[in-house]
Amino acid sequence: MAEVVIPIGPQHPALKEPVNFRVIADGEKIIRLELNLSYTHRGIEKGAESRDFIRVLPLLERVCGICSHSHATAFAKGIEEIMQVKIPPRAQYIRTIIAELERMHSHLLWLGVAAHEIGFNTLFMWTWRDREAVQDTLEEMSGNRVHYNMNEVGGVRCDLSPSQVQTALARLPLLEERIHKYVAMLEEEETMLLRFRGIGNMTRHEALAYGAVGPTARASGVACDARHEDPYLVYAEVPWEVVTDTNGDVYGRTCVRIGELRESAKIVRYCLEHLPEGDIRVPAPKAAPTGEILSRYEAPRGELVHFIRTNGTDKAERLDIRTPTLANWTSVAMCLTGQNLADIPVIVAAIDPCLSCTSRITVLDNNDNTSGMITFDELRKRSRARWQEQERS
Amino acid sequence: MTSPLTRDVVMETMKEFGIVEQVRANRFRITTTPDRLRDAVKTVQESLACERLVTISTADTRQMFELHYHFTGQHRTIVTVTIELPRETPELPTMSDMLLPAGIYERQIHDLFGIVFSGHPGLKKILLNEDWPDNEHPLRKDWKPDEKTFYGGTKQEGR
Repeated sequence: MAEVVIPIGPQHPALKEPVNFRVIADGEKIIRLELNLSYTHRGIEKGAESRDFIRVLPLLERVCGICSHSHATAFAKGIEEIMQVKIPPRAQYIRTIIAELERMHSHLLWLGVAAHEIGFNTLFMWTWRDREAVQDTLEEMSGNRVHYNMNEVGGVRCDLSPSQVQTALARLPLLEERIHKYVAMLEEEETMLLRFRGIGNMTRHEALAYGAVGPTARASGVACDARHEDPYLVYAEVPWEVVTDTNGDVYGRTCVRIGELRESAKIVRYCLEHLPEGDIRVPAPKAAPTGEILSRYEAPRGELVHFIRTNGTDKAERLDIRTPTLANWTSVAMCLTGQNLADIPVIVAAIDPCLSCTSRITVLDNNDNTSGMITFDELRKRSRARWQEQERS
Repeated sequence: MTSPLTRDVVMETMKEFGIVEQVRANRFRITTTPDRLRDAVKTVQESLACERLVTISTADTRQMFELHYHFTGQHRTIVTVTIELPRETPELPTMSDMLLPAGIYERQIHDLFGIVFSGHPGLKKILLNEDWPDNEHPLRKDWKPDEKTFYGGTKQEGR
């Protein structure tokens, strides 16, 4: 049978964010995949060059709605290192608490999306309900559900009151119980076992060769975690473990994320219980000396890298952001080769892609066995011709 | 996990490729020339046990384009191979054949800086939209948006 090009996205019910795949398939088997990620390019790196550090942080939060704290923290800790500013321990702890709460809400969101992709909507409802407990905590602490805006160069914007700490601690047992439930489900729930197992396989060697990061790599036995490799904030003093798995498929990636939910809850509990007293920020200079830093941060989706260069002014000379999803696309393209078309949503969802088709349509001509795309204008011209034909007859 | 790379080991292995600096406790940088890049990367992978490419960072210094290839491995040390390219003829053979993840980073760099990676299997637009003019690269320091140029998006009536 002839190879068929199937355009998927940028607007497609199975995709949560705008990305366009051109899937080259032979029957139901995927042969090759081409990507277009241009739909949400907003020029933030360019914008960051023309704003001072105070104004860059809120802008960077908008790189992503799910891991907004990740981008702001990666940038703030990089700039602080160039300025040689040491932020107070209390600020470090608060940043860590927000970071781990963010990881929890992101993983719960992912688990819901993945459950939805396999048609297991009960689990989707459950995880999203549990996620609200995390969202409520974040809202109480920062005032916002999405863009917490907790970071400042030199510390954090607002303090945690004893009552906020108590409320947050009181919510944890319920969350821990729910996470425990998901761990149990993963072992025995038929739907999850059937649809996650053996899908999107990737060996340890492949994960390294394709440059995969985060839970995608850790599910293939690669113990890479920036929190462990290059400890920042308080990860060196808090007891926690890097979660890895050896399954290497979508099931493994689910195991890693659920395991990380457990670890994150542990870190949040430890930080809330051991929150040191003291200031939440130190005055930081307006300008940074000339310098360069590669700031690594473990975002929920994997390692996030900010390459920052400063030039002695209050603006960054260059900010190069490498997001975890960009690093994971290569592995998705490789994973999908040879797989079934029906597994595209769940394999793509398994990396937790973070990125908004009407102009094209594929025409398969049965007479001469060819396939190709036509433009929207062409489609309109054809339908008009058809309509006029019908009018005449 | 293995112990971090020491200054002596990195110096000894990489000194034939150019200047070796220790930027921070766990960060090393080797500044080399574009023609020795492939050999340097090979040595970093084989002799310094760097198993993965973290990213390729780019910067425009107004005189040159800088490319930084960041590698790491189980030793938890970042080894960066840095090269400079002339702004007039920014061209370089692709690394995507020996470094698979480089393929997508090179497409991104090609979009934003206009650096040409010769031999790349599909150096097509990936980040900029399809209407973006081919010869404009927004992250170059001398780039300014031109009012008369259409950069994509919806055209508003009457403008």
